[in-house]
Amino acid sequence: MSRINDNISLSIPNKPEYVSVIRLTVTAIANRMGFDIEKIEDIKVAVAEACTNAITHGKNDTDNFFVEFSIDEEKLVIKVCDSGKGCATNCIKNPDLTLLNEGGLGVFIIKSLMDDVNINSDLGKGTTIIMTKFLGDDM
Amino acid sequence: MSLAIKKTFIEEDNLWRIELAGEVDIYTAGQLKEAFIKIIEEKKESIRIDAEKLEYIDSTGLGVLIGALKRLRQENKNIIIFNIKPSIKKLLNITGLDKIFVIEG
Ligand SMILES: Nc1ncnc2c1ncn2[C@@H]1O[C@H](COP(=O)(O)OP(=O)(O)OP(=O)(O)O)[C@@H](O)[C@H]1O
Ligand SMILES: [Mg+2]
Repeated sequence: MSRINDNISLSIPNKPEYVSVIRLTVTAIANRMGFDIEKIEDIKVAVAEACTNAITHGKNDTDNFFVEFSIDEEKLVIKVCDSGKGCATNCIKNPDLTLLNEGGLGVFIIKSLMDDVNINSDLGKGTTIIMTKFLGDDM
Repeated sequence: MSLAIKKTFIEEDNLWRIELAGEVDIYTAGQLKEAFIKIIEEKKESIRIDAEKLEYIDSTGLGVLIGALKRLRQENKNIIIFNIKPSIKKLLNITGLDKIFVIEG
């Protein structure tokens, strides 16, 4: 049983300039938890990609999106939630670089860097992505 | 932190040398895109990117690089990246972009 169970919630304007604020925040949280430099970098990159998606694929720029950090002794769980237009998650494909098409890298990067990733999306309602990184050795 | 872009055309090598310093993300990627469009309009030659001071690049920034490469490939020109930080190299590896761009060092 974990002794620590802390939650931090942020509500962030749908604006590109705030993604760097989230990067700094999550870096500080992961650093405080004792993650090594490489894992901190992984978490930072993954969370930034999720926030970037919340902003670019979101519905309008007057809305806020939400980032929640759940901290316990063995892992950091980050939830990024928007009320944007949503998408069909089964249509998210791995990138194909042979045609040099831009886009489609973000989710692939998130899945590569985090230990566990869950995406839930409702067309017209929004998207929630939940990412987990464990403090111990990689599974 | 923001992004600084320094461009020089190297006559003897017939290529662009671009120094990127700072962070390329959803906020600064537009700036990078503009710079590449100008550069390629001026001279459609290969671009050699010095990434020593590049601290961070996200998928938006990588998309800009891919877009620029696409235009250069039409003329058989390339994008070469050198002095890459380990965290960025990791990103290029997992996306397979290390096989698309020419990576030096
Ligand atoms: N928060 C979101 N809301 C709605 N659709 C999303 C969201 N996140 C991802 N998607 C959908 O999943 C697709 C893949 O996302 P991904 O981040 O991999 O690529 P991208 O954002 O299109 O491009 P890149 O991340 O390479 O700049 C998107 O094109 C979009 O259709
Ligand atoms: Mg994306």
